[in-house]
Amino acid sequence: MSDLNLKHIGINYPAVWILTKREVIAFWRDKARIISSFAQAILFLLVFGYSLGQNTFPPGFNYKAYLASGIGALTILFTGIFGGMGLMRDKMFGFMKELIVAPVSRQTLMIGRTLGIAIQTVIQVLIILTLGIAFGFLGYNPDLFLRILIIIPIALAASMGIVGIGLIIGTKIRNFQSFGLIQTFIVMPMFWLSGTILPITNDSILYPIYQYNPFSYCVDLFRSVLIGINNFDIWLDILVMSAFAIGLILLGAISFNKMDVS
Amino acid sequence: MEENIIEVENLTKIYENGNVLAVDNIDLHIKQGEIFALLGPNGAGKTTTISMLATLLSNTAGQAIVNGYDIKKHPDKVRKSIGIVFQEPSLDGDMKGIENLEIHAILYGMPKKIRNAKIKEVLKLVDLEDKAEIFVRNYSGGMKRRLEIARGLLHEPKILFLDEPTLGLDPQTRRKIWEKIKELNKGESKITILITTHYMEEADELADRICIMDHGKIIALDTSKNLKKQLSGDVIDIEFDKIEDTSLLPSLISQLKEIPGIKHISLGDSKNNQEEIPLNLPKNIPNIDPNVIKARMQEMMQDPKKLLMAWKNFPMSQQMFQDAPLEMKKKIANMFNDDLIKDIPENIREVIINIKNGVFEDDNSREISKISISCEHGGKQLPLIMQNIDQKKIIIKNIYMHQPTLEDVFLHYVGTKIREETSDRTKDIKKRIQMRQLTR
Repeated sequence: MSDLNLKHIGINYPAVWILTKREVIAFWRDKARIISSFAQAILFLLVFGYSLGQNTFPPGFNYKAYLASGIGALTILFTGIFGGMGLMRDKMFGFMKELIVAPVSRQTLMIGRTLGIAIQTVIQVLIILTLGIAFGFLGYNPDLFLRILIIIPIALAASMGIVGIGLIIGTKIRNFQSFGLIQTFIVMPMFWLSGTILPITNDSILYPIYQYNPFSYCVDLFRSVLIGINNFDIWLDILVMSAFAIGLILLGAISFNKMDVS
Repeated sequence: MEENIIEVENLTKIYENGNVLAVDNIDLHIKQGEIFALLGPNGAGKTTTISMLATLLSNTAGQAIVNGYDIKKHPDKVRKSIGIVFQEPSLDGDMKGIENLEIHAILYGMPKKIRNAKIKEVLKLVDLEDKAEIFVRNYSGGMKRRLEIARGLLHEPKILFLDEPTLGLDPQTRRKIWEKIKELNKGESKITILITTHYMEEADELADRICIMDHGKIIALDTSKNLKKQLSGDVIDIEFDKIEDTSLLPSLISQLKEIPGIKHISLGDSKNNQEEIPLNLPKNIPNIDPNVIKARMQEMMQDPKKLLMAWKNFPMSQQMFQDAPLEMKKKIANMFNDDLIKDIPENIREVIINIKNGVFEDDNSREISKISISCEHGGKQLPLIMQNIDQKKIIIKNIYMHQPTLEDVFLHYVGTKIREETSDRTKDIKKRIQMRQLTR
């Protein structure tokens, strides 16, 4: 119901900084969440890495590297969507009112939150890639370090877009019960149909869906930078991912501006 | 004009979804340094008014100047001029007390140099210095409230908005918060405080001026003293002994109304019925707001099925029934028909069957009728009243004469019915909006 968004006063950078810091501190303090997200990643690495024998795939295809990089990209999806939805917590516990009534614009509030979650995401991606290396899935190339450095800005950009989805959902839903619904109908399809864990080849009937899933391009870009395996052209990846990120940030900003807290 | 820190003219808010007229063309002039209370039943428009003044909601019409800034043109400057404590908690429980304050200070653009000193100062003011490093989720209700007040004061606002600041707090904590509020309003840096409440004693205790709102309109505005004077004179409460012929009462009342100097007669008690439910809580129950329990009891007194549930699930409520005065037990007994009696727990069933059979019928349990008369000079009108009652051969049990309380004033203006946000009210308002559009 808030119609006054102080649009004209622009972005307040100290406020962005403190809101980003708040997200990162909250992430750091929530040990249960950190542990469970790593446990999940390790589970995926072990189960998929060792259940499918090398014979399942064409010769020369390094599935373990494929899997480890896919799970790195997967972290962006999970952390981003559920991080963005975390704003519902603030709505429920009232802190959103304190933020809304502060003399800063809604853009400030949104950018602070988005950046905070994006930083959390990057930290998690880095840790999971380290795990992948430790498991021996990604090999021990000296240039892997450089590739991981290039991954950082990609993960940041992709996660901004994904956080946008989370924010849109978070501003709309009213209770935690909807989490399961979001998990089943948005997160899981995006995850399974983007080739993060199992490759979707172009003779599969799922291929068209794979092709129209924007997250597939994030995963593909991620993977082609990290291990050099790609399905699409790298420029197409960059193009789709940028459009996706920018579009969702804007949509997120719009729904954040319209958000009703009273 | 210059000493008014808040100037409101023709302020109106219509909620577009549902066409609800929440605030209807109000004018307010709040002076620098005063404590101003907005009093009114639920849904009267208090919170909507505050939200508009805090620039959280846009107004549909009219204008408001807060600390010299127009709420529409300079919402950011208005926001910096005010501190606000919301009706519901608005703290981040996963952060420490001091971190909540830090976030606030940065959001309000306080320079780093003064930030820390100011945070210490406000923490000291609300006696939370030693709790600053504790996570807010571990705070008690009163501590949270105090921290919110501290946060509201952190950026040195000229005006503090308190929306139901003591809702749901125990009496001791409430007193403590009142003391803090009074403290803020003292000394050189006299801060202006706008408070909404529906606790009469809170408004009476704190406010310099009280504004009673209902249906989005201001219906009375003055000091507590003057408001009571408006109702002027005295209130005479008369309790009758059992009246044999209840048809006598209406004719008696119309006769009494003829007596010069009598302004208003209300049947029953002038106070809310809920006050009548005695509350003998066992000592060992945890801190539950007595008001919450009262409200629950009120609810149960209307629905025998809820009472049954309570008796089954909370042994405490059985004890409360046993301790209740006969008057109330009778009321309860009358709610149960033969079908429902089967479901009552055994020890209570016995009592209720006995009451139904009239075993406990005695003097105390007779129906007592009361009337409450407000008149100009109690002393002058009392003999005439007595004369009239005597003529009807109605026996008087008790007479009380007292000065009107703020509660009498409030009930005089807004009536005694319990307000609920029902569709009827929305319809009522819709009608009024349509009427306005037609008359224009």
